Amino acid sequence: MTWRYVVRRLLQVLPAVASILVVTFAIVHAAPGDPVVAVAGENGDKAYYDFMRAKFGLDRPLPAQFLTYSTDVLRGDLGVSYVQGERVSTLIAERVPATLLLMGTALVASTLGGIVLGALAARRPFGPFDLTVSTVALIGYALPVFWMAQLAMLTIAFRTGWFPIQGMTTARATYAGLAHWADVGRHLALPALVLAASEIALVTRIARTGILTEMRQDYVRVAESKGLSASGALVHHALRNALLPIVTVVGSRIGFLFSGAVLVETVFGWPGLGRLVLSAAQTRDHPVLLGMVLLVAFSLVLSNLLTDLLYARVDPRIRYR
Amino acid sequence: MKKRLFMAVLAMMVVATGCGGGKKGSSDAGGATDTSTTVAGTPQPVRGGTLVVAIGSDPGSLNPAVTSSGVVHPASEMMFNGLVGWGPDGKIAPELATKWSIEDNGATYRFTLRDGVKWHDGQPFTSDDVKFTFEKALLPFHSRTKASMGSAGLTLDAPDPLTIVFHFPQPYAPLLQQLNVTEAPIIPKHVYESCADISTVAGCPANKTPIGTGPFKLDSYSINEIRMSRNPDYFRAGEPYLDGLVERVIPDPETQVLALENKEVDWLGSVPGPDIARITKNSALDTAPAPRGSGGGNCIMTAIFNMKPPAGRTPFFTDLRVRQAVWAAVNRQQAFQNVLFGQGKVADAPIHSGIVFAHATGLSLPTFDPARAATLLDSAGWKQESKGATRVARGVPNVPDGTEFKIDWHGFSGDQTTYGEQLRAQLKDVGIDVTVKTEDNATLATNVFTKRDFDLSAASYCNGDDPEIGVRRQYDSKQIGSTAFSNGAGYSNPQVDTLLDQGAREADPAKRAPIYRQIQEIAVHDLPYIWLAETVSLRAFNANCSGFNQENTGLFAEAAFCKK
Repeated sequence: MTWRYVVRRLLQVLPAVASILVVTFAIVHAAPGDPVVAVAGENGDKAYYDFMRAKFGLDRPLPAQFLTYSTDVLRGDLGVSYVQGERVSTLIAERVPATLLLMGTALVASTLGGIVLGALAARRPFGPFDLTVSTVALIGYALPVFWMAQLAMLTIAFRTGWFPIQGMTTARATYAGLAHWADVGRHLALPALVLAASEIALVTRIARTGILTEMRQDYVRVAESKGLSASGALVHHALRNALLPIVTVVGSRIGFLFSGAVLVETVFGWPGLGRLVLSAAQTRDHPVLLGMVLLVAFSLVLSNLLTDLLYARVDPRIRYR
Repeated sequence: MKKRLFMAVLAMMVVATGCGGGKKGSSDAGGATDTSTTVAGTPQPVRGGTLVVAIGSDPGSLNPAVTSSGVVHPASEMMFNGLVGWGPDGKIAPELATKWSIEDNGATYRFTLRDGVKWHDGQPFTSDDVKFTFEKALLPFHSRTKASMGSAGLTLDAPDPLTIVFHFPQPYAPLLQQLNVTEAPIIPKHVYESCADISTVAGCPANKTPIGTGPFKLDSYSINEIRMSRNPDYFRAGEPYLDGLVERVIPDPETQVLALENKEVDWLGSVPGPDIARITKNSALDTAPAPRGSGGGNCIMTAIFNMKPPAGRTPFFTDLRVRQAVWAAVNRQQAFQNVLFGQGKVADAPIHSGIVFAHATGLSLPTFDPARAATLLDSAGWKQESKGATRVARGVPNVPDGTEFKIDWHGFSGDQTTYGEQLRAQLKDVGIDVTVKTEDNATLATNVFTKRDFDLSAASYCNGDDPEIGVRRQYDSKQIGSTAFSNGAGYSNPQVDTLLDQGAREADPAKRAPIYRQIQEIAVHDLPYIWLAETVSLRAFNANCSGFNQENTGLFAEAAFCKK
């Protein structure tokens, strides 16, 4: 049954995550730069460095450090940030909601928007609408997200004043209830749009191609010959079958979406995980970096699993045992 | 004294570059502030309003006493006080201490504390808090305090609740410069004494809910912002004028500027060079040069020659003639204009002009003279075999013949990298091939200062308020390879070492001046560094707001107010 499949898949994941942990641990420690120097800023003396190194356990041999770290992780303890002095689990938990909101909005917007645009484009292949959508989609897919973020900020937010430039809320005011969420929405719109842009482009292309392929299938012709309108056949028959590749693509793009979120969050000052990862990398905050890598690895595995399970929903022929 | 390793000071410094531009409020050191006596033309204080300040990172902790972090400090200092601060005139002013006496030729300092000061939770402030702060927080965990006062052997004594005495085994000159809210913020003993590990939030949850004596109290702290409100019991009666202060985290410097222009924030600690022209033209914004960026005061943008490369690395700069040649090939004025857009000035001595007593005037630094550079390189054995070609070694000691003059430049992104590009272009004209490498703080610290694996590097050496704070580390031969941002050149001159020790033992500035002059004359002869420019950072703020004390960086908004 499906549950046995889920458990088996999750068990298969463990060696993958373990090796990711080993590799990341090695890379983080091999990278040039000393976290103790980062903590001391441009100050401190050798006594201070030695003291902090001993405090963080960095004076011990690498295998011993790894052993301690992995034992702690197995116990569910991700350690304490060198720089912020706070538990890594707390730091991550505090930031997950903001990132989920941003990524979730971008994911929903790009998937729905992409499917709608793709379906509209597929109605008249190579018509003016299709060509416009395809061209814009190609450009949207090709633009680097950090550049688009700054462009959007400079043109849309700064010139028009329709959107705020940074943050998740207005600093000068404290709103509550509905007004608070309206405020968040206003701050969310632009970063989510930028993050969604390249995904919309991708989903549009896939949806258009998928729908066009399905529209040429016999069952669609049968439906049409029974008197169903072209749009009706598209929405009720072709679209559902075209969804399968879309689900695959969307599921496999979660990782890309996260890396995009890191950049978008930095540009727009969105208080999420992306900002945490960036500052942890800059300050060689090993516990935070490793914690984030574990989190991302797990979410990727989970999203792949979810994708597989969604297959079965979309296509009843697929069964997992 | 030997072990006194003063590192850069993030302190508020006496400014030579001046504080014109911005409007200044009065924050009379003595106590109650009478703002009606401020200079004509300065707006009258208005009560109310919220000031939004941009900061660069989530601080995580809000306890400035257990770290020298340039992230934690700007986020939290407004809730605390030092024993002393800086008045708007750039002189040391009373804060939690009202007066002090210096005894034993500078080995003992006795402070009288302000009576009636209350912590934000209503408890009285006493000398026990000061003793606790130094012994349990500053001396173990504040990197600069540990390296300076800690190494000097500081002990404290609290004979009565309103007296605190600092003892050193020998005279200690720079103490008063190190007791402001940035260098030595005072925290309450009753809140922090029960902490399992005072240095972390995990071991001391109070680090996220700070209790101080400062002008503002914490309302809430989230990863996005720190919200504070007016401390109605602040010891300077009437201050602060603002009802609220919000520190907003905006990581990207360009976004910070846009947010200021868009009126989403009111105060920016530092404007990036390329934006300065646009900001100064904006009539809705005011600017004020700050003597310091986030790294410390009285900073000199410096190029470091590697005079002591590790085995296997070509020793390009061990020969004085080569260093003289690079000096002659570099047009410091042009680079200054292109990189810093006229902010600050080209350095005219190894010690910053902000340390007035120690800065030497009238030194003759090598001038821009590419022809002389070529002659010097030729005489050192670095020959240019065809026009425009990279020079090669022909008979240079310890360098295989035919080695090309190809060197690297290490710098942070931003001004240091742009300086590298300027030098690359200028040095190309004399046949030196420079590769510019942009590195982050941690990487550069390792490559340049620990491994010494570089040829030329940028560094912003912040001299601080006393040569002992930020000059010694640059020239003291004991500080080669030990710590980051110390003697990067690997410069070693026994005479300079002796003079530095002499200067540290002497308390009288008039007697110290000739010692530092001699050090600078020797440094100008030996040229271990290129002193490129004295940098200033430009603050920018909403023109409706004024009353900032640009000197007292940590408490700049203590007496600030905004027109409605």
